[in-house]
Amino acid sequence: MTLHRIWYENDTRCIAAHFQPAALLDLALARDVDMHRVLRGTTLFVDDILQHRIRIAPAQFLQLIDNTQRLLASDDTAFLLGQRLLPGHYGAVSDALRHADHLQQALDLLIRYRAILSPLLAPRLLVDDHHAYLYWIDSCGNREQQRFVVEATMTAVHALCRWQSGEKLPWSFHFRHAQPRHIEQYWVHLGNDIHFAQQVDLMKIPREYLVRAWPQAASLAGTIARQDSEQQRQTQGWSSSFLDRLFAHLLRHIREPLSLERVAQDFAMSPATLKRTLKKHHTGFQEQLDLVRKHVALYLLHIKGFNNEEAATYLHFHDSTNFRRSFKRWTGFAPSELRQHLSTPI
Amino acid sequence: MRHLFLLHRFNLGLLLVLANAALVLFLAAGDLKPVDELAWTDIIGEGGTAALALAWIVLVLRSRPSGRVTHLLVAGLGCLFFSWWVDTLDEFIQLPDTILWDHWLESIPMPIGMLLLTLGIYHWHREQLIISAQMAKREKLFRDYRLFDKVTPLGGADYLRQQLDIALQQARQQQQPLSLLMLDLTDFSAINRRYGFAEGDQVLQAVTQLLLLNLRRHDLLFRLAGDRFVALLPGTGERQAHALGQDLKAAVDHFAYHTQQQGERLQLCATCAVVMATQDNSESLLQRLNLALARARQPPYAHSA
Repeated sequence: MTLHRIWYENDTRCIAAHFQPAALLDLALARDVDMHRVLRGTTLFVDDILQHRIRIAPAQFLQLIDNTQRLLASDDTAFLLGQRLLPGHYGAVSDALRHADHLQQALDLLIRYRAILSPLLAPRLLVDDHHAYLYWIDSCGNREQQRFVVEATMTAVHALCRWQSGEKLPWSFHFRHAQPRHIEQYWVHLGNDIHFAQQVDLMKIPREYLVRAWPQAASLAGTIARQDSEQQRQTQGWSSSFLDRLFAHLLRHIREPLSLERVAQDFAMSPATLKRTLKKHHTGFQEQLDLVRKHVALYLLHIKGFNNEEAATYLHFHDSTNFRRSFKRWTGFAPSELRQHLSTPI
Repeated sequence: MRHLFLLHRFNLGLLLVLANAALVLFLAAGDLKPVDELAWTDIIGEGGTAALALAWIVLVLRSRPSGRVTHLLVAGLGCLFFSWWVDTLDEFIQLPDTILWDHWLESIPMPIGMLLLTLGIYHWHREQLIISAQMAKREKLFRDYRLFDKVTPLGGADYLRQQLDIALQQARQQQQPLSLLMLDLTDFSAINRRYGFAEGDQVLQAVTQLLLLNLRRHDLLFRLAGDRFVALLPGTGERQAHALGQDLKAAVDHFAYHTQQQGERLQLCATCAVVMATQDNSESLLQRLNLALARARQPPYAHSA
């Protein structure tokens, strides 16, 4: 089986400069920061962004984020950016979001058009009997900027929901990073249900909120906007990033023996190219495989309610001791510790 | 930078002309020293001091509006620069022993410059007293420009933490109560969405002024984050703080804010919460205050649930 090469990598010029990057520049402009200093090191010029509708690579956008953060030197940059990101001004997909019938539809749009709406961080949705879990995967090797990107993206979804639903939805926020000094920004922009040093970057909400009707919904305009969105996606040519693709691929085949060679073959590239591509995204094959296995293990233990033996069997470990050891390597905790440590699933 | 030179072209031009005149005078009267006779440590020492004086002049001009104090400071620094400049020229150009005016050029501007600088700093001090009075309720005891937020301008969360630590210690020593008040605008994000973020910033600035007017002399106001303000109320018990909070809330609720663009009247609304310090450190006190606000925000019927 081979996959078509329609993903973007961190040096693919895939992000329209007048979408998210322009929102970031607007923020810097509003605080009187010199544009040329913001663009330093990105090989971009002010005119590029103003006059031509150019696209920039994720790596350039990340550099732009780094510059802006340093020049503004303010804890609220990510949150202020987040408030401007969704539904945004990204053409048909933004219209479709604006006319969404309910949360479920908005999230489906967000996931389907993630290459346009959230190019640096890929959303994934999981629903069990009680809750919906929206969790996020690093799409482009964001490294030091990952916290900023996560803060901004979660704020964006939260602000979108609040604006479109007309009420503050009871999201609970889980972050992989440790509690930062500027906790007050989280209080003000996200609310009080906030957890740090978690296993996954994730937003959780009671399931019933998924299908509650939103007042701004417009079914006819929404249908048309969704059709146009599909066209917009096809014109753009990318629907997800390389790391995103790899995560999905590994997830789909997690119960089969996975090796670098086999996955390279599936992606129609040589093992050396796969290695090089992963390195370009500041990661490696084992790290990605462990990431996926951690997600599956957490899903099995906390959402499916498996015990260690069942999870070990599912993931083809010889015994549960081996599984426990690996689990500790992935998460830093033994399965039992994590069960106690977390009052809530995941 | 260009703007700076245009604004102060007279000051800077005069300095340039005088420095040049000294150079021409030296060259006319004396001879260049051969390279092996130059004392490099002296040149670096004296030339470096002159360059620093010039840098101070630029910094003073850049950081201050024009006016008497600025003129005094620049004139003083200009004299110092001139004196050090002549000193440096001395190292390059050998004047005949019969000439005495080079010593006057070097030593006369120095005391005059010191005198002018002292006068300038004295008036600067007077000026600062007036500005500090205007900064009352926003700043106390120490200043760190990095801790001030760029929108309102009030001290931010870090400045609050520092001031809170000091206030908690003082309250404990003096056996005085200390209260904190948190005020949050209701549905502020809707203003940002509907009228734009620039309008939102304007609202925050207006509310800042309003809150400052309604606070007492010894209170301090901070912007915690976004649309959430915190006031530090020394020597205030919970009951009094609560009354003050009600006043602030009423002031915001009745505030007639008009948008910049259309002059449209915006109805603002605030939620207010108060806590009194007991055994807290600054972090736990802030956390308690935040929870109190969350409770205050819930509609009354939610309390029974």
